[in-house]
Amino acid sequence: MKATRVDRIATFFFWILGMISVGILFIIVGEIFARGLFIALKPSFFLGKPEAMKEGGGILPMIVSSIYLAVLTLLISLPLSLGAAIYLAEYSRGGKITRFIRFCADSLSSLPSIVFGLFGLAIFVVRLGWGYCLISGAFTLALLNLPTLMRSAEESLKSVPKTYREASLSLGASRWTTVRQVVVPSSLPGIITGTVLSIGRIMGESAALIFTTGTFIRKIPLNPFQTAAPLAVNIWYTQSEALVPDYRNIVNGGAAFLLLMVLVVNLVARYIGKFYRRRKGLS
Amino acid sequence: MKNFFKSSGDSYIKALTLICASLSFLAIALIFYFIISESMEALTKVGITNILFSTKWNPDRNQYGILAFLCGTVMTTLGGLIIGAPLGIGTAIFLDQVAPRRMGEIVRRGVELLAGIPSVVIGWFGLTILVPAIARVTNSSGYGILAASVVLGVMVLPTITTLSVESLRSLPPELKEASASMGATRWQTIRRILIPAAREGLLVATILGMGRAIGETMAVQMVVGNANQLTFSLTQNTSTLTSRIVTDMGEAPPGIFRSSLFVMALVLLIFAMLLIITIRLVSRKKGD
Repeated sequence: MKATRVDRIATFFFWILGMISVGILFIIVGEIFARGLFIALKPSFFLGKPEAMKEGGGILPMIVSSIYLAVLTLLISLPLSLGAAIYLAEYSRGGKITRFIRFCADSLSSLPSIVFGLFGLAIFVVRLGWGYCLISGAFTLALLNLPTLMRSAEESLKSVPKTYREASLSLGASRWTTVRQVVVPSSLPGIITGTVLSIGRIMGESAALIFTTGTFIRKIPLNPFQTAAPLAVNIWYTQSEALVPDYRNIVNGGAAFLLLMVLVVNLVARYIGKFYRRRKGLS
Repeated sequence: MKNFFKSSGDSYIKALTLICASLSFLAIALIFYFIISESMEALTKVGITNILFSTKWNPDRNQYGILAFLCGTVMTTLGGLIIGAPLGIGTAIFLDQVAPRRMGEIVRRGVELLAGIPSVVIGWFGLTILVPAIARVTNSSGYGILAASVVLGVMVLPTITTLSVESLRSLPPELKEASASMGATRWQTIRRILIPAAREGLLVATILGMGRAIGETMAVQMVVGNANQLTFSLTQNTSTLTSRIVTDMGEAPPGIFRSSLFVMALVLLIFAMLLIITIRLVSRKKGD
């Protein structure tokens, strides 16, 4: 009898822990949206030009910076990580080289993003002389995202049934043709989900970008070698420098807009995954 | 069959993908090279002991001791784990054993979304809600190790939960069934069977959470106060390695000052590598 009572107390306790964990999310999202969403969704704010000293500034160049940066980063890291994943999933046969590559990828994914930031500063901004710009930030983030993209692409490739490959090979297709025309297309939804999730991470990243892209701009960056200010970085800069009198408003609105972008991206990724699973279930 | 392995187009592609795969190694090597070479100036001119074992940080007076920030990192990380690890592992057990299907789905998604919240957003939440609340209750500035620990607890929670769930799910279902068939209650099964069986996995989850806490920068920088003093009080302004780098890098001119910030990055890099090696050792033991 005592054991069942203890069991009931324990059950209650685990419920509390679960509720706290999901409650934290609701409290943070609720508070940030309650304070900032009505500012964030004003066209004069999200389509407006930032002010350096006066109040009433907007965040359009920052939003453009974030999106531009995500595109550039993926242009660099997607082909590379897909190539690496193809090697690991299709060509390698285990062994020392593969284990070493995995060890490097694991290490890379465990490095703090500020370390990537300082590395990017030292190599792209200073040594290569690109200065604070989108391309310096994009290369830094491409390295930061490489292990995760690689892992998700590899898992999607591996989830393609062996029979598909055997069927293709038995028709006389070469291994590369099989990969290109059978394996990669079948694993595309998984690869796309992984890619969309990494867009969310890129938009939220700040520590790796403060010393690589720049922190404040007034004009929309067009050239990738121009200084930029992704929204996440600019939120930090605005609250830390507090130069504009209405900085609290700007940060509230910017944080709400950033959170909205990231949540939408995450939901899109989930939707793609779900859509794929449903289709697979039917076929 | 032999032909297609030898076909020259294919071996080109294989070489090309191998090059892509070895980029991880190249990246790690370059990061080590650049962080070390940028640290050299401070390490040689100030000396390793004067940097690592001194709490005096006054770049104007040529003092570059980082011990205070090292302590800050250790204490905020421990604080974050004290909050985040029980909560994360508990939530994982809730998800795996206790939760009804629909509730489990909600909590699991909630935790996944929590992982995606940008650290500046969590930092801003901490700065505007948590810090004033701590200030009111403890009659202090509100900034410091306590605020940073709570923020880090929230940030390590998704990492620890997700990985703990994975390790619990990977246990053979017979374990649970056998225990239940012997008349054990759910709690007895969890405590006597599941937790011991998943111990290595839960440990790895906690270590990876620790890595996240050590490296977290922006959210911590916004709530820790950024004073360059050693403190063991939970509510006094202090710094961590990461927060110091961000606070000072903007003003540091090239030279010893800037180089000393790279030394902090080197320390973080070494911490991260030690954690990865620890994880390898822990999971290898499990494999035996």
